[in-house]
Amino acid sequence: MIKNLFKYSLACLAILSFTSCEDFLDKEVLGYSTDKDYYDTKYKLQSALDATYDILQSDTFNDSEWRFGEATADDVWGADEGLSSQMGQLVSFRFNTSNTYIRNRWEINYKGIHRANQVIANAHKVELSNDDYLEYKEVREILGQAKFLRALFYFNLVKTFGGVPIRPEVETIDSLVIPRSTKEECYAYIEKDLREAAIMLDTRYVRTDAGKAGSGAAVALLMKALMYQATPGIQSEKWEEMVRLGQYFVDGVSMTYADMLQWDSSQEDWEALRKRLWFKPQELNSPTDPYEEPTSALPDLHTAYSLNYADCYGASIDYIDQFFQTGEFCSGSIFEVVFKESADGSAGDTNEGGYVFDDMYSTSPVIWSTDNILTEIFGSDPRRSYNLGHQTYTPDGELCQCGPGKFVSLKWYTPVKERPQNGGDNGKNRRYLRYADVVLMYAEALNECGNGAAALEQLNKCKAQVNTLNNSSTLYIGGGYGYMRDQIWEERRKEFAFEWDRFFDLVRQGRAAEVIKAYGANRANKRGYYFREGVNELFPIPQSEIDVSNGVVTQNPGY
Amino acid sequence: MKYNKSIIKLSALLLLAPFFASCEDDEAATPQAGIIIDKTELGINETMTINFEGVADQVSIWTGDEDHDYELRSESNTGFVVNKGLFTYSYSTPGTFHVVCIASTYNELATDLRQDTCSVWVRVIDDQTEIEKLSCPQILYDEVFADKISDNDWVMRLPRKVKYRTASPSISLSQRLRFYINSDSTKVYVGGELFGTTTKYDLAETQDIHVVSDFGSTRDYKLYTVQYPEFDEFTINGVEGELGRSEFDYSAFTYDITLPAGTDVSNVVPVFTLTGDNEKAYIGDSEQISGSSTVDFTQPVTYRLVGVSPDNAQAVAESTITVTVNFE
Repeated sequence: MIKNLFKYSLACLAILSFTSCEDFLDKEVLGYSTDKDYYDTKYKLQSALDATYDILQSDTFNDSEWRFGEATADDVWGADEGLSSQMGQLVSFRFNTSNTYIRNRWEINYKGIHRANQVIANAHKVELSNDDYLEYKEVREILGQAKFLRALFYFNLVKTFGGVPIRPEVETIDSLVIPRSTKEECYAYIEKDLREAAIMLDTRYVRTDAGKAGSGAAVALLMKALMYQATPGIQSEKWEEMVRLGQYFVDGVSMTYADMLQWDSSQEDWEALRKRLWFKPQELNSPTDPYEEPTSALPDLHTAYSLNYADCYGASIDYIDQFFQTGEFCSGSIFEVVFKESADGSAGDTNEGGYVFDDMYSTSPVIWSTDNILTEIFGSDPRRSYNLGHQTYTPDGELCQCGPGKFVSLKWYTPVKERPQNGGDNGKNRRYLRYADVVLMYAEALNECGNGAAALEQLNKCKAQVNTLNNSSTLYIGGGYGYMRDQIWEERRKEFAFEWDRFFDLVRQGRAAEVIKAYGANRANKRGYYFREGVNELFPIPQSEIDVSNGVVTQNPGY
Repeated sequence: MKYNKSIIKLSALLLLAPFFASCEDDEAATPQAGIIIDKTELGINETMTINFEGVADQVSIWTGDEDHDYELRSESNTGFVVNKGLFTYSYSTPGTFHVVCIASTYNELATDLRQDTCSVWVRVIDDQTEIEKLSCPQILYDEVFADKISDNDWVMRLPRKVKYRTASPSISLSQRLRFYINSDSTKVYVGGELFGTTTKYDLAETQDIHVVSDFGSTRDYKLYTVQYPEFDEFTINGVEGELGRSEFDYSAFTYDITLPAGTDVSNVVPVFTLTGDNEKAYIGDSEQISGSSTVDFTQPVTYRLVGVSPDNAQAVAESTITVTVNFE
């Protein structure tokens, strides 16, 4: 009897415990944010945007930038070029599809995309405390910057790998494997983000807002994305669109919202688009609020930046100061990767940029140039003097000891007084997009569209600014299409030397194989000689991606 | 005592027995090499996919090209490790290659290693005969590209003179050529001779171009050269003007002529000669005959000059000259 009682009570207890279990699981944890309710204020959305910018500051991101953009090309030699290391294999184009750096580049850019997607997918959840125009504008600018950053990360991927998977803005466990989109689809996606960012953002942000991507950054990156889609020597609407954007950015020809968006009223209603992009809805507009229409002119962009060497206050600076702290957000700087001192006394953080330039400008640089290469790049151009050899002095009087025969760029150098308190930090920002790039892209597009005379004018604007360094009056000279193109490419190489863009510039010019193979043939270790034309212009999709997707993500041809 | 001894023996045997047994268990499995290859005839840089379908602990594949030849494995040639049974590769040179797959198994302590091999021959074909682009790389400092007018015909349009700074040096018809072909192995013959990058070719003649791929396929092209026509001389009422060139566009000219003040230019007969033989001048679509066609020069007049290759009527070069009359 007692035994039975015991059994029953046990069963009852068991049942009770099951029911309570279910109730318990249903309850929400109080005071705990989830992705469903987190993004309800602009401050929280801003914190998600900050997290996206954080990727740009990460060591992995910057590491991948110089390895792919600079070390693989013909302006530098590298310390790590042996075929036994992953880096050596990468720069020699003798890697396999499991190369660590290739995987890193893939992963860090997708990490950035994922973070940008958090902002973009959740922006609609923000609730405003009042109906001020400025409240809408603030959210719109957060969303616009996220779009710019997402485009930047996708652009990095497309120029490295070709068409890549476009991740859904909201990731679900049911669709983790996404097949690759074509290169054209990816570029269309990038363009859409940039065009929208261009109308959502202020032209440039200054003072306490410096560092935010403005519409200048969006338009500059848009021109670059168009340039990478076009082929030199082949007419295309991409070149024409670049000219149109150049006229707006450089010449100050007005451009409307609809022009920038290439807006099609049959695709999306204007008011719906405004709401989606956080422009204040028309029905809530008060008479004093501005109302942006498709035909409204975009704010002037050509007055926001200039080729002059001047700091953010307009005081004139030296050429190389453009790359130092003095010249942060200077008149020619459109977008920078902002590195901040941690100020907490700690060393070894991974997002303060210390590692980036310290490895290059050091007593044992990871990459460096040589006398011969500098002669090839610069000839007698005054910009050559911003590269230092062993036992020579920096502008602020520090002795450079990079090693005999090596030359390092002052673009990588941090002046003594700008150096941070803590190791592992970096004292200066990395310049990502510059106005000179916009002017030279415009010049190239003009030449491609058969307007050599206007191209020469833009090209010589850059040259004239450089001439102020040595009071020279030498300018580029007019000529046929091929001559103009060669001169523009020559100026690009001089102006953007050692800014980690050379490899991708060569690839989009269609002469990577020719240039890099010729470079490799002259080197003892033949680095670059094994570049395979038609294959190595794109890097392989990381093998791990192919493996985990069971082949849904396909490999690039030739690998 | 005897009893004790046998107990020891027995127990020793019993102890040994599992030892042997475990030894036998630790023997390597029998490897079996087997691959499925998606194609055995490939183009240059075309991806070949190999799936391993056998039994092995480790698989390596020797692709048979330079540095990866199984026959030369003792001479520092290497194979590739296969991961997850999938291997992709492409060849950058044409040829026939012996692809060898090694399936190996081993036991835990690697005291027993076994191998099985299988192989397949693949053929890599380079039959690229398509000329992608064709240019004269040294027109002063410019590289001038030819245009494709039909599948096998290219036309090179060259200026007679190029404006550079204040001078206008003449451009010879004896020029270097440059071919853009997507292959390192394809050979090009110009006028029956193997093409040389520094050889100068007489472009006054139509050039026969013969392209032979590594595979053996051939294709013939013709390169016609037409110079942009210009006025050699152009006079109105016996007065000559000055030809202006554009450094950017070799087909666009200006011509300025200065006449005495008060000259009636609404109905004049210009006298002109063209530089080349197969050239004609038009205003709009009406042909102009020197010394006979009357023209109204009260506004600038744009002449359209058309030069044609004697060998192919489709190979034309057209230039425009805008004639402006000024008065003293």
